[in-house]
Amino acid sequence: MRIDRTHRSWEVATLVLAVVSTVAYIAYAVRSPAGPRGGSALGLTFGIAGYAMMLYAGLLGARKKVPTWRIGRAQTWMRGHIWLGSLSLLLILFHGGFAFRGPLTAVLMILFFIVILSGWTGALIQHFVPSLMTTRVPMETIYEEIPHVRAQLCQEADKLVATVCGPIGSEEAAAEEFGGAVTTLVEIEQEDRARFRDIYLRKLRPYLSDPDSEHAELADLNRTSEVFDSLRRLLAAPVHPVLDDLENICEEEQQLSRQIRVYRWLHSWLLVHVPLSIALLVLGGLHAIMALRY
Amino acid sequence: MAGRTRTTKKLAQRIDLNYFKKLRGIPRWRRILSAVFTLAGLAWLGWHALAGSPKPYNAGPVARSHALFGEKCSACHVSQARFQHTATDQACLACHDGPIHHAEQTFTPSCASCHVEHKGVLRLAATSDEACTQCHASLNENDKNTPPKFASNIRGFDRSHPELTALRNGAKDPGTIKFNHQVHLDPKKPIRGPNGPVQLQCSDCHRSYGLSGLWPFALNAGSAATELPSLPARAYMQPVNYEKHCAACHPLDFDRRFKEPAPHKEPKVVYDFVVQKLASYIAAHPAEIPLVDEPDKRLPTRPPQRPARNAQEWVEQRLADAQLLLWRKSCKECHTPAYPQGYDALPEIPKAAVPARWMQHASFDHDAHQLVACTACHTKTLNSKETSDVLIPSIQTCRDCHHSAANAAEARCFECHSYHDWSKEKPPAGKFTIRQLTE
Amino acid sequence: MSDVHLTIDGTAVTVPAGTTIFDAARMNGIAIPTLCHQQNETPVGVCRVCVVDAGGRVLSAACVRPAEEKMVVSTNSEKVVRARRTLVELLMADHPSPCARQRQSNDCELETLARLEGITQARFPRRLSPRGQDNSSLVIAVDHEACILCDRCIRGCDEIRHNDVLGRRGKGFMAGIAFDYNLPMGNSSCVSCGECMVSCPTGALTNKSIVKTVLPGEPVDVDDLQQLAYFQKVSGTFLELNKNAVVRRHFKKGEIICREGEYGSTAFYILEGQAQVFLSTPLAHVQSKGGAAGFFSRLSSRLVGRQQERRQDEGSRATIPIDASVDLPYDNPIATLGPGDLFGEMTCMNLYPRSATVRAATDCVMLEMLRNVLDIIQRNKTLKAQLEANYRKRALDDHLRSVPMFASLTQDFIDVLRSKVELVRYTKGDVICRQGDIADAFYLVRLGFVRVSEPHPGGELVLAYLGRGSYFGEIGLLNGEGRRTATCTALDHVELVRIHAEEFHQMTEQFPDVRRSLEELAYERQTQNRQRLATATSTPLDQFLTQGLMEAQSLLVLDLERCTRCDACVRACADAHDGITRLVREGQRFDKYLVATSCRHCRDPLCMIGCPVGSIRRRNSLEVIIENWCIGCGLCAKNCPYGNINLHPFNVLEDDPANPGRQVAVVKQKATSCDLCTDHAEPSCVYACPHDAAHRVEPNEFFRWIGAPLETEARTHSR
Repeated sequence: MRIDRTHRSWEVATLVLAVVSTVAYIAYAVRSPAGPRGGSALGLTFGIAGYAMMLYAGLLGARKKVPTWRIGRAQTWMRGHIWLGSLSLLLILFHGGFAFRGPLTAVLMILFFIVILSGWTGALIQHFVPSLMTTRVPMETIYEEIPHVRAQLCQEADKLVATVCGPIGSEEAAAEEFGGAVTTLVEIEQEDRARFRDIYLRKLRPYLSDPDSEHAELADLNRTSEVFDSLRRLLAAPVHPVLDDLENICEEEQQLSRQIRVYRWLHSWLLVHVPLSIALLVLGGLHAIMALRY
Repeated sequence: MAGRTRTTKKLAQRIDLNYFKKLRGIPRWRRILSAVFTLAGLAWLGWHALAGSPKPYNAGPVARSHALFGEKCSACHVSQARFQHTATDQACLACHDGPIHHAEQTFTPSCASCHVEHKGVLRLAATSDEACTQCHASLNENDKNTPPKFASNIRGFDRSHPELTALRNGAKDPGTIKFNHQVHLDPKKPIRGPNGPVQLQCSDCHRSYGLSGLWPFALNAGSAATELPSLPARAYMQPVNYEKHCAACHPLDFDRRFKEPAPHKEPKVVYDFVVQKLASYIAAHPAEIPLVDEPDKRLPTRPPQRPARNAQEWVEQRLADAQLLLWRKSCKECHTPAYPQGYDALPEIPKAAVPARWMQHASFDHDAHQLVACTACHTKTLNSKETSDVLIPSIQTCRDCHHSAANAAEARCFECHSYHDWSKEKPPAGKFTIRQLTE
Repeated sequence: MSDVHLTIDGTAVTVPAGTTIFDAARMNGIAIPTLCHQQNETPVGVCRVCVVDAGGRVLSAACVRPAEEKMVVSTNSEKVVRARRTLVELLMADHPSPCARQRQSNDCELETLARLEGITQARFPRRLSPRGQDNSSLVIAVDHEACILCDRCIRGCDEIRHNDVLGRRGKGFMAGIAFDYNLPMGNSSCVSCGECMVSCPTGALTNKSIVKTVLPGEPVDVDDLQQLAYFQKVSGTFLELNKNAVVRRHFKKGEIICREGEYGSTAFYILEGQAQVFLSTPLAHVQSKGGAAGFFSRLSSRLVGRQQERRQDEGSRATIPIDASVDLPYDNPIATLGPGDLFGEMTCMNLYPRSATVRAATDCVMLEMLRNVLDIIQRNKTLKAQLEANYRKRALDDHLRSVPMFASLTQDFIDVLRSKVELVRYTKGDVICRQGDIADAFYLVRLGFVRVSEPHPGGELVLAYLGRGSYFGEIGLLNGEGRRTATCTALDHVELVRIHAEEFHQMTEQFPDVRRSLEELAYERQTQNRQRLATATSTPLDQFLTQGLMEAQSLLVLDLERCTRCDACVRACADAHDGITRLVREGQRFDKYLVATSCRHCRDPLCMIGCPVGSIRRRNSLEVIIENWCIGCGLCAKNCPYGNINLHPFNVLEDDPANPGRQVAVVKQKATSCDLCTDHAEPSCVYACPHDAAHRVEPNEFFRWIGAPLETEARTHSR
């Protein structure tokens, strides 16, 4: 979510709460004989309020699982997640009196810091990376379907090449089965046909069937245009439209590879943020119970 | 881009409509890692739970003095109800006694509210000022006496802390011994000692307990300084004593014939002593009965002495002279004898009433202050001529070093005051066996 | 009559008076070649190939010249032979040899004659202006190039069949044969009896063989066919030629004759027995579990019926229109057809999918026919009358009553109406009425699809597509001007029930309720039309047009600078629609927005064309919704140019044909598309997007603000 003018009311409310809490904390910390403690009345208040905000933030994941329940718009929940989650940092620090103390609480504090920091990182990422994706991947598709789409691109390339040199790859087998497919062949010399087929099978098809392999020379955009220019010089004019289409397919493949990379940038932080936050909530609850016990 | 077209329909038809139902890639790992981390955390806690140890819930290291059983949580965290395992006051009182502070206080804070455990402190008794100011900052609300007997709004060792009682409101030293510190200590006019002029030091008369060394101006020159009282050693000055501190320069001579001075005791004892001494002398030297003594220069004029007719008379004559010397001169130097039954009777010497301890509610350790010169704090001494001068330093002097700062001396309440009334202390009765502690 | 004695080629013959020379020669075994003469037709003597030397100044046409007493006729003198040869040569000069008939059956009479005369190459040049072909008829191909204007077809149509369709047109070298007032043959009143084709000597009129494959079934004898009333007037030769296009089928009781949703090309005519027509696809929406619930269960789908889950977007239709003479009632969608009923017309004529499942209720005998034979039948006056009578008797009631505002008509009035209405038909592209025409009738659509449109700068603006069960024409009749407000065109083979203005006015007078409802409807329609016209007048941007965004009334756009590609919108859509998403997060971009693949509720809803059961309809001029009796044929999905309609499969247990008594799971489909989640305040996808990236917008308004800060705009403009 981008933080913009529409967040104004949340920002103000958070600021007010932060100021109120800070004032309360300072007054309390200065006066209490034992120093600021999580177990005192105000400490417990901070703890409960902080945990409630953490829970609300954590429930965003659950909210996304029931998207149609009319329990508040997803954007409201998201804004709450960001602002109340950030405020909970302050409240939990007040609750703990800025100290790590024992093993469980130290673990909780560390987890908490990591969760908050990763969350802020994620929020920052979401201000920049979607635009990056939009501008750098014009031929974007759905990430989960990339393998499926790539398979279709490969088939499309095979079909294109089949118009020049007859059935290729999977089509070849199909053609044999049905006793000769009916394809209109582009009018070029037989030896050109063979040359093109050879080039396709050697250079282009390996890239198309596995675009993310290490040694794909066509993975680089500049290299691709060089390769195709040389192909255009090498092969007769009737084949050039096919070459243009193949180049376009290669470009699409490259963009999909780029999409994969940008997608990872966009979503990897979640691998830190979400699992640790769940662990944090569970352990935090246990801490609350056990601290009250002891 | 000859033949390839991109239409919405073509693009949409590439997509399998159920793609979002299966989790793949990052969302899948997210789910896996969530389970892994949560289970790891629970496993860690569960491991300890199965071992029966609440160690993960430890809020921090215990105070140094409790380190021996710091890992044995059940030493203090005893089960009350089924769930509650708080360390209550009972846990502390099992080994320590915490006698009540004042019967008049409106509430009694729990042990842990002032003595905060699990912070790894060196000294658990080092409570914060807030432990005290929670009552003393508004004492009128927290004391059953109205108005409270003590200052009502003490917030710390700052201006809200009142002046020492001894120095308040023109209080005076109640001591009856006439003593002029200035004369005794004047560096420009050395006083006459037994062996010529001396320059007295503070420590010639004032020393704390536990110190070795000899009193230089004692009756028996060089009597030892040490005496162990019930008060903490080396904290307080030993009381000033005639035999140890004054006798050498202020002997109780009563007759020129005797070197031995009179004992520094009640007048009756001194009288009996002098009589006994004179009687035994004249009994030993009957030839001197008719001899007449020259008047003592120190005495006021008296009618000339007639030769004595017998021993008794001789003793009486000399006794009168001695009494004159003693009661009217020597004793009077320091004491103020009173004659309630007339001048012919023996005087009554009022008690010395020199305070052994000036501060009733605070403790002071001279040994801890040995780095400071005596007169750095007791500034008024060198100029004090009157006994009634209270020569203990004002609280301001204390504050010069004892204030809230990182490079200042400890200024928290506990440094001088004690919450617990140790006069009501019960004898210790610990509850642990060695086995319990060392298992 | 007295006899006549004459000599033909030296042989004396005696014939009754009035016999033509040709017949006289023929009776005595002398053959005279002819082209324009056919035995069963009145001779006209236009081709002059049969000329003989009868002693006159000029040669005489043997087919018309009556034999006279003492005539000496020479049929093969040098003069005659030369004349004949020249004639044939002249005709061959313009003949597209080998013509269609010669190619098909090797028996073009002209070419045969030419061969006999030894003419291989004409000396004369071919004519310069082509005469063209006419392929509009389904059964007969017209090639004017091969026509020798022999008149045989005209005589066959007039004299033999009395259909009076063919005639001559033009003069001189522009002369030719014409159907009605020179209409294309397929649009004319030609009844496809085939007589002209059978009569034609050359390849000018030949049989169109539509399919080379033979229909499986028992071939029907031509004689048997001609027993049936509506084949009686059809040329036997023609039927012979089209023998394989019609077969007799026998069905045992319980056998399935055709299944809904299948594509077919044949129609059925019931000869004996009864058949049940029903929808075997359950009348329900599909529900599929996925996502969280689907994490632990299979992705299986099940059906939720109207009773279990009432949806707001459902109409309260009483009947479901299908491709037969009856409509199916909604609550119990079963009907019975008996002898004399025809079903499957739309499938056969327009190649739409089958609209219902037909099962033999008793042992049945049916005729299954292809389009050409159906065309013959349909044009046949007898059958037409019979079908119309059938329709009037059985379906017209329901049809009229299915129009909600006619529900209050009394039975008497309906009976009167029944006899007075006219059943008319139109072919593809025919204009039924034009904007501005005088309004003289009210129409119900019985078969096919009608496009209602208004002329608009830049083309026609489509206001509606009306299918079976809909009606139009009331606005013109009810408004003061009495003129049509829009143009109605037939999109394919359309059959309408026409109620004339008098009956209409009578109805509205007698039943004020009806008039009121009609007026309300008219008013509503006019308002909608005005709205649509108003929004159509803004100037579009180039890319707007190329992507077809202009057509849309509502777009789902995803702001790509905020979208994190998290699929929350897709999951929400699936969640709101029983596990099936109606939104695909893929499509083309416009500016920084992705125009997602989700129903655009187009102004010109191409998806609505062709639905065999009329289950895709428009509500409130905005949302296009699919009712729950969709049979999953997939035509709407194919028609939608943006791929916004998807078919979702589900399993249904059906009787296994191979193992009677057992059931087998069969995969069926239902079509789904975005319905804007109208039972909530805002669409689920917009509601569930956590990043405020999804918006449902009206494209013209929304994109007018390109360049302006769009966060606030997006919220004010989204639906």
